[in-house]
Amino acid sequence: MINKKLIATAILATSFAMPAIAEEPMNDLEIAHTAYTAGQIDIRYAHLALALSENEEVRAFAATMVRDHSAVNDAAGALITELNVTPQDNGLSQALVKGAAEKVEELAGLRGKSFDCAYATNELGYHQVVNQTVEGNFIPNVTVEPLKALLVDALATFKQHEKHAENMVSQLSCS
Amino acid sequence: MQRLTRREVSALLGAGLLAPLAAQARAADAKDARDASSEDHNAQTHVIDIRRATFEPGTLTIKAGDHITWVNHDIAPHTATEMEGEWDTGALKRGETGTLTFDTEGTHAYYCVFHPHMTGKIIVTA
Repeated sequence: MINKKLIATAILATSFAMPAIAEEPMNDLEIAHTAYTAGQIDIRYAHLALALSENEEVRAFAATMVRDHSAVNDAAGALITELNVTPQDNGLSQALVKGAAEKVEELAGLRGKSFDCAYATNELGYHQVVNQTVEGNFIPNVTVEPLKALLVDALATFKQHEKHAENMVSQLSCS
Repeated sequence: MQRLTRREVSALLGAGLLAPLAAQARAADAKDARDASSEDHNAQTHVIDIRRATFEPGTLTIKAGDHITWVNHDIAPHTATEMEGEWDTGALKRGETGTLTFDTEGTHAYYCVFHPHMTGKIIVTA
C-alpha cells in the first residue's frame, strides 16, 4: 500500500498537491501508469530547464533526465505493448500531474540562479520521493515479473539522478 | 589531441556531438587507449558489464595491449569516459558495446558522463 506519510512528506518537500491515495494497494496497471507518469513529468521539467537555464551543469543534468526517462518510458511502452494491457489511471497519477502543472507554472516565472536553484531543489526532492515510492511500494507490490525487473533497473538509474541532483544543489550554493 | 575536461566531454555528449562518432575514432586520438581493430593474438579481451548503474568489476587489472569491452545492460544509456576525457566509449545504449585497447602502463580512473557518481578504475600492468 502506498505510504500516506511518505507522500505527505513528498508534498512538503516538493510542493506537490495532495494525492488522493486509495486505501487499497495499487495494482500492476496502476503502478505502471504512475511510474510512466512520473517519468513524463520529469521530462517536462527537464525541457523547461533546457529552455530557460544557461547553467551548463543544470542543462547537462536536464539532458540526462530527458535521455534516461525517455529510455525507461520507451521500455515501459514496449512492455505494455508486449503484454497487451492498458495502464490504469489512478489518484496518485492524477495528483502528480496536478502538482507538476503547478510546479511548472512556478518554475516558468523564474530566471537565472533563481530558476536553477528551484529546478535543482525540485529535482532532488522529486527523485527522493519517487525513489522511495518505487523501492518501498511499487517493487514490493508489483506482481508481473517483467515490470518488476524494469522498475528495479530504472531505480538504479534514478538513484544516480538523486545523487546527481544533490550534488547540483550543493554546487549551485542554493540557500 | 587536446585533452577535454570532464565538463567539456559532458557538454559534447550532452549535445549529441560525440554520439554519432564511432568509439574507434575517438580512441585512436587518445594517448593511452586505442580502438581494438588491430589484431593482436597475445592480447586478452576483458568484459566490464554495466548493470544497475554500476561498472562490474569496479576495478580491473589488465596487461598492456589487452582489450576491454564495456557492455551496457541497463535501460539508460551510459558511457565509460576517462576522468579528463583522454578516452571514452561514447554513449552506449542498452545492448551496445564499446571496446578499447590499453597500451600504456598506469591507472585509469573513469566515470559515466551522464551519471557522474558511476566510477571505475583500470590498472594496466606490463
